[in-house]
Amino acid sequence: MRILVLNWRDLAHPAAGGAEVYTEQVLRRWVAAGHQVTLFAASVAGRPAVEMADGYRVIRAGNRFTVYREARRWWERCGRGSFDVVIDETNTVPFLAHEWVDDGARTVALVHQTCEEIWHHNAPPLVAHLGRHALEPRWLHRLASSPVLAVSESTRDALARFGARDVTVVPEGFEPPSQSRLSPKEDRPTVVFCGRMVSYKRPWDVLRAVQNAHRELPGLQLWMIGGGPLLGKLRRARPDGVEFFGRVSEAVKHDLMARAHAHVSTSVREGWGLVVTEAAALGTPTIAYDVPGLRDSTLAAGGVVVPPSPDALARWMVDLLPAWQSQSFEPLPYGGAHSWDEVADRLLDAVLTQARVPAVSVGLVAA
Amino acid sequence: MKISFVVPTRNSGRTLAACLGSLRSQTHAEVEIVVVDNGSTDATVAIGERFADQVLQWGPERSAQRNHGTKCSTGDVVVFIDSDMVMEPTIAADIARTFEASPATGALVIPERSFGDGFLAHCRELEKSLYVGDPAVESPRAFRRELIEDLGGWDENLTAAEDWDLADRTRAVATVGRVTSYIWHDEGRIKLRATFAKKRYYGRWIDQYVSMHADSNTKFARTALVRKPGALLRHPVLTAGLVALKATEAAGLLLGVRDSRSASPAGSSSAGASRDSRVA
Repeated sequence: MRILVLNWRDLAHPAAGGAEVYTEQVLRRWVAAGHQVTLFAASVAGRPAVEMADGYRVIRAGNRFTVYREARRWWERCGRGSFDVVIDETNTVPFLAHEWVDDGARTVALVHQTCEEIWHHNAPPLVAHLGRHALEPRWLHRLASSPVLAVSESTRDALARFGARDVTVVPEGFEPPSQSRLSPKEDRPTVVFCGRMVSYKRPWDVLRAVQNAHRELPGLQLWMIGGGPLLGKLRRARPDGVEFFGRVSEAVKHDLMARAHAHVSTSVREGWGLVVTEAAALGTPTIAYDVPGLRDSTLAAGGVVVPPSPDALARWMVDLLPAWQSQSFEPLPYGGAHSWDEVADRLLDAVLTQARVPAVSVGLVAA
Repeated sequence: MKISFVVPTRNSGRTLAACLGSLRSQTHAEVEIVVVDNGSTDATVAIGERFADQVLQWGPERSAQRNHGTKCSTGDVVVFIDSDMVMEPTIAADIARTFEASPATGALVIPERSFGDGFLAHCRELEKSLYVGDPAVESPRAFRRELIEDLGGWDENLTAAEDWDLADRTRAVATVGRVTSYIWHDEGRIKLRATFAKKRYYGRWIDQYVSMHADSNTKFARTALVRKPGALLRHPVLTAGLVALKATEAAGLLLGVRDSRSASPAGSSSAGASRDSRVA
């Protein structure tokens, strides 16, 4: 099988995130299973335009805005006729492959999450309103005529709101940390937050909740793991009982997460929320805001979702932490997610059963 | 003391997982969850089966679903929860402690606060915060099993104001206490048009409720709204939004009452009225 994957970034991109890890893990396994895989992504400073990585070919062109046009051009020049299936991996902006793949190859879209509220956290106000209320609905409505794969129920529901009818949920993957022995829990009630210190993860909400909870749980301490543009400001606020670790190695991160009694997550929205799965694998339950994505991962991992407000988070911490301190939680190896081997298999099955020959090439064949 | 939570649902997929998840993570050990669905076509039943001890099908309306839930549950206490509510983890423990400490108390009020998206949801949050502690608005939700069975459960002839009706009948025969843990009520995104249509639908039962209860006028006055002017003055913008929201609701109720008076028999009017409200 000859597979082309379109994604705006590859794992070598400095801003690569969860979606890129997902792509890399899956593509590597598809290659090992004997498929011929090509990934098209935006160019990265210092990396060649064509490169082999883990057995698949990476082609890079364009920047974050022009990568969509470049993908189409590359298709016109070199791509047409050399693939059996094209996967349009959508991060806010779709490649809309089903509108221009015209050689009879089948297409399917893969969506990790919709952007929606996140626009207001990542773009200046005017652009955010334009993006959220004009651009994204238009893009997703156009994508809706293609078959779509979504990584969570929440993403499927969001796509349905934009008119997508043919959406299949595919599993999220996870590699359990290879720690043989987990560190013992802290003596003081301890909460850990792990994520980039950026606006849409709402680290200020965690700080406020912990400050509120402090009145009733005087010993409460909070560990903030992760770097990001807000880190300096958060540090300068010097809240009581809060320690900032910045960016740390995986081993340190896992150690801290395993020693805490609860993990908290307060994002505006996530595709799945792998950090929740990770905490569960380390024997630490999560208290998360009830928002798309976090809802899926937290409930799958046996955690608790709360109304998205610092007051609510504080109430739940005060009520649950004393009980959780005396209770031990068995680590859940996959915490509601699945092994990458299984994800690669099931994603390929879903691609094979869901991908369709788009209307443009059907018209061509008929003509 | 075993606490049974009865949750009537109908296409409640949006909020049900958070609701049932909060019941499953109660600190009290003996908790039973009974979901009584009424022909949902979304993920409601699947979510129910994941979290609840029993998922039943019953109809035709909320009161009947709740009574059926009471009958099928086994706890010493029955608590009626809506599918858009999220319970703080200590609610069941609080209820058990309060009932054990005061054997004379037959039912308990659980205070509510609301949350949701957008400006109107914040207005509603302000409104609900004014009602906390006002017996004219708050209805008991937790009942000792003997009491709810003696009362004959919810009045299945009422589809709106059934909670006031039950509250009145409870207060006539038993002491009503309260707990300190809160219920968080998910208002979602409030839309004026939908609010108007809903109130117009409820308005059709008001005449019937009034004819059953002589002192019911106090229920509609909502004096709590003006009894704490300080809270309103502190939030002038939210207050303005709240005025608009309440005006819309009042208009909907009045039109609903008019619908019920102009159309008789009441049964045949229901289809027409709901169609009207969508047009409105």
